[in-house]
Amino acid sequence: MATTIHDDLFAPDVIADPYGYFGRLRAEDPVHWNAKYEVWVLTRYDDIVWLIRHPELFSSEVFKRDPRPPYPPIPEADVEMYGFVREFFADFFIQHDRPSHTEMRMVTHSYFTPRAMEAWRPMVRAAIKDLLDDAEAKGQMDVMQDFATPLPVLVIARMLGLPEQDRRFIRELAQKLLFIGRGDLNRMRPLTDGIKGLADYLSPLIKERLAHPGDDLLSVLASGETRGAFSRDEVVANAVLLLLAGHETTINLICNGTLALIRHPEQWALLQASSGLAVSATEECLRYDPPVKSLQRIAAEDVELRGNVLRKLDRARWFIPSANRDPAKFPEPDRFDITRDPNPHVAFGSGIHHCLGATLARVEGQEAFSALVDRFPALHLTTEELEYQPSITFRSLKALPVTWN
Amino acid sequence: MARALRVRVDHTRCVGNATCTTIAPGVFKLNDDRQSEAINSVGEPEEIILKAAENCPVSAIRVEDAATGERLF
Repeated sequence: MATTIHDDLFAPDVIADPYGYFGRLRAEDPVHWNAKYEVWVLTRYDDIVWLIRHPELFSSEVFKRDPRPPYPPIPEADVEMYGFVREFFADFFIQHDRPSHTEMRMVTHSYFTPRAMEAWRPMVRAAIKDLLDDAEAKGQMDVMQDFATPLPVLVIARMLGLPEQDRRFIRELAQKLLFIGRGDLNRMRPLTDGIKGLADYLSPLIKERLAHPGDDLLSVLASGETRGAFSRDEVVANAVLLLLAGHETTINLICNGTLALIRHPEQWALLQASSGLAVSATEECLRYDPPVKSLQRIAAEDVELRGNVLRKLDRARWFIPSANRDPAKFPEPDRFDITRDPNPHVAFGSGIHHCLGATLARVEGQEAFSALVDRFPALHLTTEELEYQPSITFRSLKALPVTWN
Repeated sequence: MARALRVRVDHTRCVGNATCTTIAPGVFKLNDDRQSEAINSVGEPEEIILKAAENCPVSAIRVEDAATGERLF
């Protein structure tokens, strides 16, 4: 079906309100050919779950297989840098298909079991208390800078066994890698700098862990080299991935969830009154305004879907915000309801690539939201002018200034 | 002789991560919806089945002693 919906996924209106734009696509053209960026855009819940549960039809080896230049286009002079970025990202285990994906994922999979992550809850809770003590003393905070960012950086750095004093440095470099999902013309420079900086930082630590393994996550990852699942380059790349994925997504969960709770005072009050709702409230935050906006696959063969033929090597991008608000799956999808049950959102994806750190993110979200409603009952925004990063990968607020006086 | 187990997968939770089919292929199989089903509770030793349950990222696998109903995971 022809559609008059524009194709600029980075347009200010799409960045500000993905629900409107992708909701229209979901209703009018759910398997949409975006001619501007030469990518299929999928927006229905059922189609998305089907796609991500058929990894033999839709490959995750996007950086390795995609023969086209990146979108939006980059300057000719940056093509060499793109080659480097692409090669580095291709080593991420999430950019692999079976069988190597299974082998790589299993190196760290057991580290992240629900039971193992539960053991980190007291540490997460203590870290939250410290951060909110500092905020309380100031009387106001930017939830992004003062709470949502330092918490997951601290947690993942501690898991990896990285020195506490390196956290600021790590965050600065990791921020450069977030340019991967953005439209900036000159994004290859920060991406290259971020990769090189983190790889230079982590390489000697990995070498040290191989010689003297400990029980930290970096040692677990490095053990993948010893057992032949990873090359050294792959250990380094996947350490960068864990660092990056281990915090950026949780930052967005905490900010987007806090904002949703603030904008729905009756839900805020409900959570405050019954701390037992922290689990379902976190699930609803993940559904209502998910941290990750979209991910991509590449067709491994010609595939027919809703009367369209996705040709081999076509790009297919699936949009989580749209799946999570699909009225065919969720009653009253635009209603924020922290008691929603069932809530089979796809904020963490599904299938073999379902988010490795999902339980950790859940623990951090549950503890963060519980602590906020408990300590700052009158929390409110100090501005209504909120802006999002121009990314199609992440749903990231630039700042979330609040006070409670 | 090993005790009999009852193994179940909760399909309201299962996301088809396929960790269980990797760890205990003799017990778990993915169905047409790509969700896991326990098709043979004696297909692997008990410790392997418990390992699969523990490694399920969404805690969808329940393992019980078939005779006593005791929850093992």
